[in-house]
Amino acid sequence: MAKVTINGIEVEVDSSMTVLKAAEKLGIVIPTFCYHPRMDPAGSCRICAVELEDSKRVVMSCVTPVADGMRVLTESPKIHDARKTNLELLLLHHPLDCPVCDCGGECPLQNMSFAYGATETRFESHRNDEPEDIKSDVLVFNANRCILCGKCVRICDEIQDVHAIGFINRGFDTIIGPPLGKKLDCEFCGDCYEVCPTGAITDQFTRYKYRPWQLEKQQTTCAYCASGCQIFVETENEAIVRVTSREGVGPNEGSICAVGRFGFNHVQIPERFDTPYMRSLHRLVPATWEDVLPEITARLDLIRKKGTDRVAGLISTRVPMEDAYVFQSFFRKVLRSNMIDSGARFGFMNAALPLVSATGTLRPLVDHEDILKAKVILVIGTDPVAESNISGLFLKRAARKERAKLYVVDSEAITLSTRAKDHIRLLPGGEKLFVSVLNEEIARNGALSPDWTARKEELFKNWNVDPGAYQRLVNDLTSTETGIIVTGRKAYRNENGSSIMNSIVRLIGSLGWAGKVGSGLFLLPENANDLGVLMMGGTHEWLPGLINATDPSSKSRWESAWGRRLSYGNGGSLGDILKGIEAGQINALISLGENPLSHFPSGSKVRETLAKLDLLVVLDLFQNELSDMAHFVLPVSSSFERGGHFVSAEGFVQPIKATMAHWGESLPDWEILSKIAHGMGESLGFESLESITAEILRFLPDLVPSSRNGAHYQGPTGEITVPVMSKTPPHKADRESVSVKYAQWQSGTVSANGEVHPILGEGDFILALTKSLFHSGKMTLMDPNLMEIQSEGKIRINRQVARKRKIKKGERVTVRSSFGSCSMIAEPSSSVAEFEVLFPSHFANEVVLGLFPPDLAFDRETGVPVQHRVRVFLETQNPA
Amino acid sequence: MTLKTLLNNILFTEIAQGLKLTLKHMFKKKITVQYPHEKLTLADGYRGFIVHRRYENEQERCVGCDLCEAICPAKAIRVVGDIHPEFPERRYAKEYTLDFTRCIFCGFCIVACPVNALAMTKEFAHSSFTREGLIYSKDQLLALGDKCESESIAYLKVRNMWGAEDSGKEEGRYHFPPIPTINAGG
Repeated sequence: MAKVTINGIEVEVDSSMTVLKAAEKLGIVIPTFCYHPRMDPAGSCRICAVELEDSKRVVMSCVTPVADGMRVLTESPKIHDARKTNLELLLLHHPLDCPVCDCGGECPLQNMSFAYGATETRFESHRNDEPEDIKSDVLVFNANRCILCGKCVRICDEIQDVHAIGFINRGFDTIIGPPLGKKLDCEFCGDCYEVCPTGAITDQFTRYKYRPWQLEKQQTTCAYCASGCQIFVETENEAIVRVTSREGVGPNEGSICAVGRFGFNHVQIPERFDTPYMRSLHRLVPATWEDVLPEITARLDLIRKKGTDRVAGLISTRVPMEDAYVFQSFFRKVLRSNMIDSGARFGFMNAALPLVSATGTLRPLVDHEDILKAKVILVIGTDPVAESNISGLFLKRAARKERAKLYVVDSEAITLSTRAKDHIRLLPGGEKLFVSVLNEEIARNGALSPDWTARKEELFKNWNVDPGAYQRLVNDLTSTETGIIVTGRKAYRNENGSSIMNSIVRLIGSLGWAGKVGSGLFLLPENANDLGVLMMGGTHEWLPGLINATDPSSKSRWESAWGRRLSYGNGGSLGDILKGIEAGQINALISLGENPLSHFPSGSKVRETLAKLDLLVVLDLFQNELSDMAHFVLPVSSSFERGGHFVSAEGFVQPIKATMAHWGESLPDWEILSKIAHGMGESLGFESLESITAEILRFLPDLVPSSRNGAHYQGPTGEITVPVMSKTPPHKADRESVSVKYAQWQSGTVSANGEVHPILGEGDFILALTKSLFHSGKMTLMDPNLMEIQSEGKIRINRQVARKRKIKKGERVTVRSSFGSCSMIAEPSSSVAEFEVLFPSHFANEVVLGLFPPDLAFDRETGVPVQHRVRVFLETQNPA
Repeated sequence: MTLKTLLNNILFTEIAQGLKLTLKHMFKKKITVQYPHEKLTLADGYRGFIVHRRYENEQERCVGCDLCEAICPAKAIRVVGDIHPEFPERRYAKEYTLDFTRCIFCGFCIVACPVNALAMTKEFAHSSFTREGLIYSKDQLLALGDKCESESIAYLKVRNMWGAEDSGKEEGRYHFPPIPTINAGG
């Protein structure tokens, strides 16, 4: 500890601290340009100068460590002169085009020049007239305005770990930009543009469209992935102009990804439904709510009187908790149907079911902070950077800055593999074997039965697993103090997803991590509110609070809570719903933003099945295959227009806010359902969103909103108060009860010769549908900004293989499977495995889905559709 | 009643006194202006209608910076900026509306303008049968500016705003990237 005196106030601080941080502790603000709390200090802008009283020297506070007995002045005539001179020098080449600069009005350089009165310069120089670099479709670099603080370069290196931009040239000619004057090619997170203290980096989407003082700022939660990023939506006249983040606020600590930052425009394009539509003479015609609601009500009323489970419901996992709660109440109370399912059924249920049966909760055992503290991290079956970008950032930081031993098990070289200690590059299809052998090895402490030994040998021989790396992984996992397994989409969307997730959950138990603080499983859901919708009982298995929906004793708990008898049927998942419709037992389907047609190939006859419905009501934002078939299409609010709460992957229950005006006549889902229920003469008892939240919290008090780094910002305009570190109530699962439950669950043994779903078809390659970094589901395909970043799906193929087969970049290739064929644009990539080809699932339209086996197959345990990969041949189209 | 007042009353002295002034003016030069047919010469710097100005190469000066909107005390101006369709590095006003029904002719917008794109003219009698007719778009303002170019220059000179920006000297108030020369009318 060191005692320092700053401006006459004595403070005792850690001796490793810098003067700047010591002053921050006292609440003294020292102006900075190049300092950034999450990065190493650079000391390049020379504006944080302070005076040492004893030696009368001027030093840079951001790089000077404190010393015992140090006496510092942060404001003095000498400091004032030093800063002013500095500003004059910074402004020497600065173009002073503030009126047209997007940063003008929120520019630290502008504010500082104003504060220090650096209006005239005593130096002779010329203004820079470098042309702007507008080659990139996303970011614009203006070398004239740059003050070379290096923040953008450092955030790209240290936080994002992407290394896309750097200093070019030397001396007066130094500029910032992508190397070799090329077009910028990076993750387009826009963090460089966020931290830039001048207007040197701006973005193409909002360029010249706003002035900062016109914008109204509101904090909300990003509705794309489950990282739970806190974003600031800035609107002018209730239309969204841009999305920004704020340093240190939220679980994301101020970083957001490309999708969150630029994907806001799809909610305000003319293609969006702005009025209800009703089918009349085989055409959908615009109608009013007054026409549509009584009609739906009357038809639903007739159908529900036929018996229980007559109406099926699908809910997207992008809706807030409150809407999911109303959705299931409406179905179970009013329609007496348990035929409900959520978008999580397309994959996440594979993970949720074993996890809930093992731990009793969907809340995670670990969060991002634990990732930073973990000694060993195993990333298996996921590409965190693409799936949940901010979790990916924490993993990068853990591996790079905190020196965690990172293991990546994946067929593809994902972004994290270059930071990994070992990248176990197994062949596609061997995932299930790998995790089950790993679990058995750890559970039996290495003493494998002959059956299992044979399987392990198979792993090394057939699936390309390096025995040395495998052994290192086993040793590290068993000997570590704290370890985390990260898994996600690739694991639970695998054709063996259910058993892979089962083995991974077992593995946590075998390692004894259930009871070990700081260790556990970090599961990356697909959508923003996968956890929330399931917690609210969005599927037939569970009532709100993950209580078994069919067991009479657990059902009676909700019956007494709601004060009414629940007389719904046994219910069923997506597969049962389709079967029920086919058999005529289900006559109506209400879909809240979920489109099953986009997941199944046309040969699977899902369209024909759905055509048998007497009533199909679709609540959605955009026209899609399902809405084309619908009898009624109802416009719903997007996540930017309504309130509610999302549950993030870390277990935080974070609010979303209405930030823009309602689009046309759109309404939130809960309001539409309440109105329909009201029309049927039943009241759900919800007058406002607050009343739903209140009811949820009354019955499930552990869902009290929580967040990291910052109380939620309240109020229409103005400054956001300094973030308060608040972590109560706990967002993580209760470790004690989880470890008790785990012990009960861990009883059975696993057979070495369990059933394996093979990858179907034949061909040289395995085609997998992956998640792209720049899209999220199919909704973002409607976003003009994100379509600018990535406008089409390209099939990624191993570079060497492409060379051998003479497939060039951008060339069209024919992809042929046993079930169909289609033409795709090839993109050779060094990260893809030799026997694999990858295609972004967002662009998987009917033609691409036609490559997949047409028969509907669902996992027996979890009801998740199993076709996720298929074997294909590649043929070049040009014979030359 | 005295004799004097009595005399005054009988002889209508007061009326005569009043008519004396009238009669005097009958022999003086007329000062009434027959307005629609005759017009006064207004001084340079008269705060009449606001116009948009162009550079010598016919290009509009306005950079769509929104400063006039920010300073306008009557909230009469609305600017929507965007990327220039021809020069992607330039900002321009996609929409510019000036509501003369709200304008109080204070001239703050002209002071705020960094490129001297705005000036006031001696036009004062633009009338319309509707309120909408007095909400001027950028094209209307530019057309009016073309019509009254000399007046707007005179305004800026008198108000001391004909500065470096227009004289072509290096040290302007602001420095923008050079504007590419384009043909007249482009």
